[in-house]
Amino acid sequence: MTTDLSQESDAAVVVAIARWHPDALSEAYRRHGGAVFGLARRVLADRALAEDVLQEVFLRLWNEADRFDPERGGLRSYLLAQTHGRSVDAVRRETARRRREERKAEVVLEPEYDLEREVEDLVVADHVRAALTELPEGERRAIELAYFGGHSYRRVAAMLGEPEGTVKGRIRSGLCRLRATLTQAGLVER
Amino acid sequence: MRRLTHTEIENLLGAHALDAVAPPEREVVESHVPGCASCRSELADHHEVAALLVDPFCSVPTGIWGRIADALEESPPPLALAPVVPLTRRRVIVRRMAAAAAVVVAVGVGVGLVAQERRFDQVETAMSDDMPRRAALLALGDPDATLVDLRGAGSAAARAAVLPDGQGYLVVDALPALPPDQTYQLWALVEGDRISGGTLGADPDVVAFHVAGTVAGFAVTAERAGGVSASANPPVLIGWTG
Repeated sequence: MTTDLSQESDAAVVVAIARWHPDALSEAYRRHGGAVFGLARRVLADRALAEDVLQEVFLRLWNEADRFDPERGGLRSYLLAQTHGRSVDAVRRETARRRREERKAEVVLEPEYDLEREVEDLVVADHVRAALTELPEGERRAIELAYFGGHSYRRVAAMLGEPEGTVKGRIRSGLCRLRATLTQAGLVER
Repeated sequence: MRRLTHTEIENLLGAHALDAVAPPEREVVESHVPGCASCRSELADHHEVAALLVDPFCSVPTGIWGRIADALEESPPPLALAPVVPLTRRRVIVRRMAAAAAVVVAVGVGVGLVAQERRFDQVETAMSDDMPRRAALLALGDPDATLVDLRGAGSAAARAAVLPDGQGYLVVDALPALPPDQTYQLWALVEGDRISGGTLGADPDVVAFHVAGTVAGFAVTAERAGGVSASANPPVLIGWTG
């Protein structure tokens, strides 16, 4: 196995994780831990719960690395889908009132950060922000309430006073529109 | 919940990708997607876009990696591949088209074990629910393995990996589930013969097998439950070695 995991693809890192190499899990955590925690934090608004989700997601990756299929999407997409599912389940179990807070993005320079990857993430983030603002408001609101609010489309429909079918359709069309914009920008394949 | 049309399921894909559907709807989508390439592709697209919406620059809290690393020490020991057993005790490839049906060594993952006609002690003790899939993943990544991509109609697909010692794994990517009175059956194409690799069950996932001789390819057919000694059915999946 190569000793320089930082140069390996996500798929190769996962193979190394499946061979029980802790440094491979550490590499995956370095690459994607921030995004995982960021999503959990945003959905849950409870730091301790978000930390639990972060831990669960990476332990699951360690114990069930074989569930990741690189042909079905990237590792970050896979981890964030796990993160979002767990976070939403936790939100819906909570009966206490959730508080929301705005958080500004911070670039954290770790001792061995990967500048090229950070720059790439910055470029992608800029394009995604622009693409979001270009969405019709109905689509953008539906996606934000569902994804970051942790609400079902039925609940979103009730919140917006819209028919459920309309909200369901707007979520789907909004995601398709975002993908088309990002594909045109060369940030997404196909 | 009433049966949904394909269009209704498609309309749920966006919400499902954002975990914004009710549990009954989630079950419908998750049972439909594995057998539908277009929905599977669209769902993957939605997941990819959703992942891009996440701010990648959030700082990771200190101390969490320590908790994860501590938990790793409690993990099971490194995986050991299933041991090679004498042919008298483990029979997966039946050499001749005998009267008896093919004997199966097939271990499922996740949902449950595939029905078997005979248990082999060494396989039973060496395998757990989790190990076959992990062993298959390792085999697929082994540079000395012979890899075969099997294809069929539509999105039907599987991958086979055969290690130099003849240990093999079949990982099913997409195959429609058969009725309970039928089973899929694996065939190894060896020196002009079609040799049964055993029955795979009606809804296979990961299957271990052993093969002797030079394999030219693999095929999968649909048969009656219990399998057959000689198949008269066209393959639903077929693939050849490079």
